[in-house]
Amino acid sequence: MYSHEVLEHFLHPRHVGTIEDPSGFGQAGGGERCPDDLAYIWIRVADGRIVEIRHKTLGCPVAIAASSVTCEMALGKTLAEALAITPEAVIAALGGVPERKANSTVAPKALRAAIMQALDRNGQAEQQDASTD
Amino acid sequence: MREPPILDAQSIRADFPILQRRVGDKPLIYFDNAATTHKPRQVLRTIETFYTTYNANVHRSPHTLGLEATELYEQAHENVARFIGAADAREIVFVRNSTEAINLVAYSLLSGENERLRLQEGDQVVVTVMEHHSDLVPWQRVCAQAGATLKVIDIRDDGTLDMEQLSAALTERTRLVCCAHGSNVLGTINPVQEIGRLAHQAGALFLVDGAQSVPHMPVDVKQIGCDFLAFSGHKMLAPMDIGVLYGKRELLQEMSPFLYGGEMVADVTLTGATWKEPPWKFEAGTANVCGGIALGGATDLRTGQHLEGAVDYLERISMAQVRAHERALTRHALQGLRDMERVRVYGPLDADRRGGILAFAVEGSDAHLVAHLLNDEGIAVRAGGLCAYPLADRLGVAGTVRASFYIYNTEDEVDRFLEVLEDIVRCRLL
Repeated sequence: MYSHEVLEHFLHPRHVGTIEDPSGFGQAGGGERCPDDLAYIWIRVADGRIVEIRHKTLGCPVAIAASSVTCEMALGKTLAEALAITPEAVIAALGGVPERKANSTVAPKALRAAIMQALDRNGQAEQQDASTD
Repeated sequence: MREPPILDAQSIRADFPILQRRVGDKPLIYFDNAATTHKPRQVLRTIETFYTTYNANVHRSPHTLGLEATELYEQAHENVARFIGAADAREIVFVRNSTEAINLVAYSLLSGENERLRLQEGDQVVVTVMEHHSDLVPWQRVCAQAGATLKVIDIRDDGTLDMEQLSAALTERTRLVCCAHGSNVLGTINPVQEIGRLAHQAGALFLVDGAQSVPHMPVDVKQIGCDFLAFSGHKMLAPMDIGVLYGKRELLQEMSPFLYGGEMVADVTLTGATWKEPPWKFEAGTANVCGGIALGGATDLRTGQHLEGAVDYLERISMAQVRAHERALTRHALQGLRDMERVRVYGPLDADRRGGILAFAVEGSDAHLVAHLLNDEGIAVRAGGLCAYPLADRLGVAGTVRASFYIYNTEDEVDRFLEVLEDIVRCRLL
């Protein structure tokens, strides 16, 4: 059975939407076991912290609830802190998921990709700044 | 058109207090019987009588209560032997459940003192892709430890066992064939008599996982010709934590114990021990005495009345009637599910070839979500991999929803289930 938290976040997912001109964007799928699960995550970063986060998620209730909770967990964190959000931590926050559903927790992977892009862009921007100095 | 009722489900329902409860504001429709069944008043009364009148440890305590508890417990073995057509009670080992029964055989064959009954390197164990994990994982482990190979027989597209593949797989190195009598996912009833004949022809032993058949249809070990039969009490009106391993007497006689310790020994010195005769050499430690009596039934020695066990309750109805009732419900439910758009039923589509288990998927939807929505309407079903992950993988489905029936379910409940499911599929999963 789904936990109360899974159902709550599945039926009322938080932070749904997109961000125009984001600091970073990432996507991830559930792979062979959960091919229908797909999460897109956008983040806006200011002073090294995630100040805005949005997701769009296709898939089963676990995938959608995991994206909702991942966004809640990541908001306000530094990029280093947010990188440490694991699928296991998200599953714990969801009060557990049913058998063989762990792979549906795709959001942390999408978040990681978004953070890496933000860091990458930031690095390029710093390089550009350095070259124009 | 409705078939006339085969058994009086309404009067049966009156024996099951739990069926009166509600889930939220909805009456309970319990369709998760393949996971566990409810217990009738008669069995609950037996449990109460045991603990209020006879509670004592068996085979050791030299006082009135101890002697009486022993007599009831042994009677329960005899009644279970009669129920499955075993020659005598020495062929009936009480264990916790089917899983433990199968582990008993597996570990005994792994560590057997008798070479004839020990798995050797290069031997083969044959199972089917439709096994519950309880009849697959022990063999994976034991084969790996013994250096034996595990051969898995596939199913055909209609959800029945590929008998040709089975026949071709058997070699002179095949030591054991293990097969579910009834699949807990597909509902398929396997031709165990024929499988047993092939196994024995190849010189192999034959183990039947009866967890989904013994509760639901007449099962006679002599007719099947199996060497071992495993089943669980809780899936057939008895409490949880009592199960049965039937084993042919000459095999149990020669096999090594699985668990060692108290009660199973004939004699012990500081350097070794000898074992009691079967079944007791396989029942180490304090047994679930009350559970055994609640499964098999016994005579109340103080009143002369019968303390009804689960098998008494089922025999009173007759297993042929149980089977006929479930077949009628299954046929009715199958028809309804087949007519429903986006619903795919797994397993044979002929109710004569399957038990009262219907696993299905709703196209584009999640099995757990369907189960949750059914639960909102008071309908209890199972969802997910159903303890048979390799079968789910074979069917190419992440999980299924499973409705499974028993003696207290009615055609009205099936109608309500179909109505709610149709509403969920049409309106609530868009």
